[in-house]
Amino acid sequence: MALVDLITEDVVKVPLAADNKPALLREMVQVLKDAGKIDDFDTVLQAIQDREDKQSTGLEKGIAVPHGKTSAVKSLVIAVGVSNEGIDFNSLDKEPSKLFFMLIAPPDQPGPHVQALAEIAKLAKSPAFLNILIKADSAKAVVSLLRDE
Amino acid sequence: MESPIQKIMVYIDGTEQSITAAQYAIYLARFMRADLFACYIINTKALDDLLKASIFLKEEQLEYEHDLEEDAQRYLNHVREMADAKGVHIETKSVTGSVHQEILTTVTDEEIDLLVIGELSRIRSRRDEFYNETERAMRSVSCSVLIVKDEDRVYDLFESLV
Repeated sequence: MALVDLITEDVVKVPLAADNKPALLREMVQVLKDAGKIDDFDTVLQAIQDREDKQSTGLEKGIAVPHGKTSAVKSLVIAVGVSNEGIDFNSLDKEPSKLFFMLIAPPDQPGPHVQALAEIAKLAKSPAFLNILIKADSAKAVVSLLRDE
Repeated sequence: MESPIQKIMVYIDGTEQSITAAQYAIYLARFMRADLFACYIINTKALDDLLKASIFLKEEQLEYEHDLEEDAQRYLNHVREMADAKGVHIETKSVTGSVHQEILTTVTDEEIDLLVIGELSRIRSRRDEFYNETERAMRSVSCSVLIVKDEDRVYDLFESLV
């Protein structure tokens, strides 16, 4: 399944309210919970946190890709968030992260997880498009941009 | 007269659509008395790209490669069992690399007459047109390509084989 098929308005939050990393991770997991994509908030948050503990997933140019594996989900789920102010995510370029793609996948379905991450990696190579996404003012705008790029 | 299709390859990628494609390929192979070959490509190109993009750590890259190898064996074993149940001989193989490139190479190396693939995702963005690896392979492969649709009908056809 293509990345855009998984990103619907109910899993996109613009703007994010969090102003620090732990709050951001909780807020995005809550987006998935509110959208009915996950049941076990704590297990999913722990999977994401475990990965962040090894090394931050904050990349360059304002994008971060927190991700993890847990059997608490039956298939790959994705949340997207935009922070207007940016959050210190200990990113590679030390700049605040503003655009977040959170992915959680079950351990026995590595294919879709890798495919989705690879699509995001390709997006991350386009600074111009990332800038447009970061300036999106609504969930609807984010979904529309991802589908129409 | 000799059948125009002597060797069929079905591409397995761990999706339900590819399993439906396998059912149809088994049906066709039996009907046409063609050789059947199933191939799963472990997308190490994507894993390398994720490491380069710093999305993956080295240990994660290795872990996911191992996960994908297990996924390949699980799905290829499943396809083999389906073929065995219908009395169709099948060869299976997992290869590593870029999906698009390895499909092209395998079709050529195995002298495939017909590539069978599962239904493709809908094109939802211009990006999809460029990045969908299976679609790229479909466009550039040297043999004919069959895209399998209608899961229910295919299941009925597959089950009708005794």
